[in-house]
Amino acid sequence: MEVRFYLLCNRYEALVASHLDPESFGAYMAVGNLRQTTGEEIFIEIDPNKVGDAIDMEKARESCKPHREGNPRRSKYISVYRALERIPVESMMNLHLVTRDGLTLALEGQTLEKEEQNGPHMYMELSPAGALIVSSLAPKGFVQFITNLQNPVSYPKVFLVDMLIDTDKEGKLASYLPYSHPDHISECLRIVSDGKKITKTVDRRPNVGSFYRTIRRGFYVGNGDAMKFYPYPSKAKLDEDHHRWWRSASLG
Amino acid sequence: MNKSRVPVVATMIALALMAGMAGAQPDGAAAVADEFNRQLPMWWFLAPLCSIIALGSAAFFYRSMMKEAEGSPRMKEIASYVREGAYAYLRRQYLVVGIFFVVVFVLLLFMAIGLNVQHYLVPFAFMPSGFFSGLAGFFGMKTATSAASRTAHAASQSLNKGLRVAFRSGAVMGLTVVGLALLDNSIWFLYLYKFHHTIFGGEPMTMETITMVMICFGMGASSQALFARVGGGIYTKAADVGADLVGKVEAGIPEDDPRNPATIADNVGDNVGDVAGMGADLYESYAGAILAAAALGVAAASTQGLSSEVMFNYMVAPAILAAVGILASVVGILVVRANEDATMTTLLHALDRGIYLASALIVVAAVGVVMILGLPWSILWSIMIGLALGLVIGKGTEWATSAEYKPTQNIAEQSTTGPATLIIGGIAEGMLSTWIPILAVCLGMMSSFALAGGFTDLFMGLYGIGIAAVGMLSTLGITLATDAYGPISDNAGGIAEMADMPKEVRERTDMLDSLGNTTAAIGKGFAIGSAALTALALLASYVESIRVGIHREAAAAYTAPAPTGNDIFHVKDLGFGKFGVYIAGSSGSETENRLYTVSAIQTKSSHSVRLMVDEGPRAGEVLDLVIADLGHHARRMNLVDVEGNSLADNRASLDDFMIFYNVTLTNPKVLVGVFLGVLLVFVFSAMTMKAVGRAAAAMVNEVRRQFREKPGIMQGTETPDYARCVAISTAGAQKEMILPSFLALLVPIAVGLVLSVSGVMGMLVGTLCAGFAMAVYMANAGGAWDNAKKYIEAGHHGGKGSDSHKAAVVGDTVGDPFKDTSGPSLNILIKLTSIVSIVFAGLIVKFAPMIGQFLGIGY
Repeated sequence: MEVRFYLLCNRYEALVASHLDPESFGAYMAVGNLRQTTGEEIFIEIDPNKVGDAIDMEKARESCKPHREGNPRRSKYISVYRALERIPVESMMNLHLVTRDGLTLALEGQTLEKEEQNGPHMYMELSPAGALIVSSLAPKGFVQFITNLQNPVSYPKVFLVDMLIDTDKEGKLASYLPYSHPDHISECLRIVSDGKKITKTVDRRPNVGSFYRTIRRGFYVGNGDAMKFYPYPSKAKLDEDHHRWWRSASLG
Repeated sequence: MNKSRVPVVATMIALALMAGMAGAQPDGAAAVADEFNRQLPMWWFLAPLCSIIALGSAAFFYRSMMKEAEGSPRMKEIASYVREGAYAYLRRQYLVVGIFFVVVFVLLLFMAIGLNVQHYLVPFAFMPSGFFSGLAGFFGMKTATSAASRTAHAASQSLNKGLRVAFRSGAVMGLTVVGLALLDNSIWFLYLYKFHHTIFGGEPMTMETITMVMICFGMGASSQALFARVGGGIYTKAADVGADLVGKVEAGIPEDDPRNPATIADNVGDNVGDVAGMGADLYESYAGAILAAAALGVAAASTQGLSSEVMFNYMVAPAILAAVGILASVVGILVVRANEDATMTTLLHALDRGIYLASALIVVAAVGVVMILGLPWSILWSIMIGLALGLVIGKGTEWATSAEYKPTQNIAEQSTTGPATLIIGGIAEGMLSTWIPILAVCLGMMSSFALAGGFTDLFMGLYGIGIAAVGMLSTLGITLATDAYGPISDNAGGIAEMADMPKEVRERTDMLDSLGNTTAAIGKGFAIGSAALTALALLASYVESIRVGIHREAAAAYTAPAPTGNDIFHVKDLGFGKFGVYIAGSSGSETENRLYTVSAIQTKSSHSVRLMVDEGPRAGEVLDLVIADLGHHARRMNLVDVEGNSLADNRASLDDFMIFYNVTLTNPKVLVGVFLGVLLVFVFSAMTMKAVGRAAAAMVNEVRRQFREKPGIMQGTETPDYARCVAISTAGAQKEMILPSFLALLVPIAVGLVLSVSGVMGMLVGTLCAGFAMAVYMANAGGAWDNAKKYIEAGHHGGKGSDSHKAAVVGDTVGDPFKDTSGPSLNILIKLTSIVSIVFAGLIVKFAPMIGQFLGIGY
């Protein structure tokens, strides 16, 4: 049986070996074997040949054995601490977004060719931490900033998503955005817009309902100049091409 | 002939027939020339003819729908699951109801033959009215469950085609209900009026007897409606809550996802609640309104001393109005269509256009009916008031529940501060929303009463109200079509999702579904409003049933001596202020006794007659009496009292009965009755809501079990056991509907036996007022919570998944049994208490005084 490697990276990190393909693995992680719902899941498939020496992938492959009765092993945890920082960006293959009911959408990664204008932007860090941040920095700049180990607050590597901050005619956050404290977000955005701060933490433990509905451009992973961007399709495209997934993801 | 033109042609023939009749004023000789071989005027046949046109049109629409393609194999498969579930429910429902009907049949038979407090035809007529009501529900369900997949497939061709298939399938339900109700009514009237006495001998039935016996027939329809509404309401919400709480909230599965084991039961529930339940409910309102108005018409003509010819016209006018309403409805149904670029507003206008056209046609036709039947022009006002009332209540409900308007938007806004404020907001808006239908009914009641001359002639005023109820329901063929359209389009949307149909098809079915949500809410308001008006007419009819009950009791005690000299009658004190005045000649049979009996009650009114009592505790006394009723032969005798006053000229008015039974607010029995009526509404609502809770819990456990034991369901590799969920919902509904249903049936009888007529009158008033307000409140609060959630889902206050949305989901779940179980079931409760009181009036009249005396609370 083929052994695949997946990096779980939604609010916690773990490298997992599995005999399941991404769709089955996503369904298993979200739904469980005995209907133990664990919620939305996000993971990146890893090319073991490009991981290098940081993790002994051959040993990891050998440890993932089928069950005695011959059934495939669904998950064999290889690493559950500092996994993200040890896995090189070039080994990261497709990003998989799994809904609560176990439907998986695969996103292809690409290099970020064109940087956006500076902010304000809102990012949700998904790994290794999970804070909601607003910043005047564009994604690339923000990733570089947050992974600059010279800064007192930094990570070796980060996985994050930039989120919608659409506003209405009155300048308030759009009514369709499901954030818990929109006024607070607006205030934070105003602070970084005014240049008083480059970044500001909105919420250390955000609980964003209907998360997949709040994604703006996509997901970013990396550090310094080694960065990968997973663009998120438009809502129209999601509804058109991935209708079942989108209905589930948007709580249809 | 182009088959699509069949309903049009049939309608035109009927209209032409009516137009032809317009020139021919009913001839007294033609109408009731020979008392024994009664002739029916030609225009009377409009009622059975139109009922057949309704059924023919329904059959035509059904066949047209069945000719449409059902879509892909997957669509067929899903539709077959829903159809099988619906039939499984109906089989179980009819079995339980069948047992109930047999028990009640035996009870009514015992009352008629053993206790002699009931007309012997009532048990036999009780069964068919229930059967016809059930049949209407069956046809409605059969059509709706076949139409959903065809609507989805038609929507893949065009929006207009989808609308037409769904709406005309809904029309099958509407037209079947009005057709069967009017046909049942016409057949029984024909039999009682023309054939009963020729088959079984004896004198022809008086029109008073015919109308009172026919009102009792309504109990079959009421009972069927009660079970359909309560059972259907419990079923649909148990399935809905089970599907939502486990499938959507716990498992995160979207709406109408085939992985949800309860999704088929949920789709079946839409049909069970809003097709079979609503159909049976309105069948009962429709039949009840016609029969109550007919009884009031006879009473009005009788108290005015009008000729039997005019009385006949008053009696059948409601049925004729209903008949022209059917024709207008068919025309209205045919004009409903939409453009391809239709928006939600234009779709709603398309339906409105059909209803408005039908209403306008009825007003025009009513002018002809009033002229042909020689009715007072004030009746035309009553018809127009009734029609306007239906529209006002419908629009009022739309205002109170649609997300387009402030009340629902206010509720949605309160979701931003959590579920508690959202619940408070919904309760407040629901309570506030009662002002439109209640004031509309008050205004309609007062104006139809006043314009019909009620302040100088009470029964004429009540007749005006009865006609207003008939006017309101005259468009039922099309209004019920818009209602039954709701679950069809809802199911069509579900099938489109489950069968992975293309985006444009799903958008079309979504649009049709949204329209269905609005029309369903409007239909609920219409049903409640019509229940209130019908119940009011039935309240007046109850007094007439007391009159009949007293007469029946007096006749049962018939002891006439041979006439000697001028003493041509014999007065017997029956106790408790009731007297039998008997003339010789009866053969001793129950029917003959009634013909030779004059029943009377003691009074102090100015139009009393003075009679010396020959037999009983007060023998030898000369007492002031008013005549409750005169048997057929007694009417011909021109009987006079000791002072030479004619007995026939001194019949008890409604006021006399009120005085005799002390129906005044100072009588504690009346007030206690009012309280008990209010209590009945609250306890009944609580029982139905608790029933939903229990049935839903069973469904929740089953769905959880399936997810737990069949992991392949979530991964799409294993098919859920849909049938098990359907069976659980069915069993839960059947089990849970028994107690509330029996409560509704037994309380009026118990109150009557203990608190007598005054207590029953109080109870009916309490039930009517509290039930009407409560039903409107529950339906509107539930509808508003539902639409507040949809409003948020459309992208307001954070949209789906936000905290506001979570609060709205709580509100919607609370509102589900409000709007789909307890609220609609109250419609039936209001009417059923009246009908049960009417049917059991003879029993109350005879035994309540004895029980009251035994308990020391008077009689």
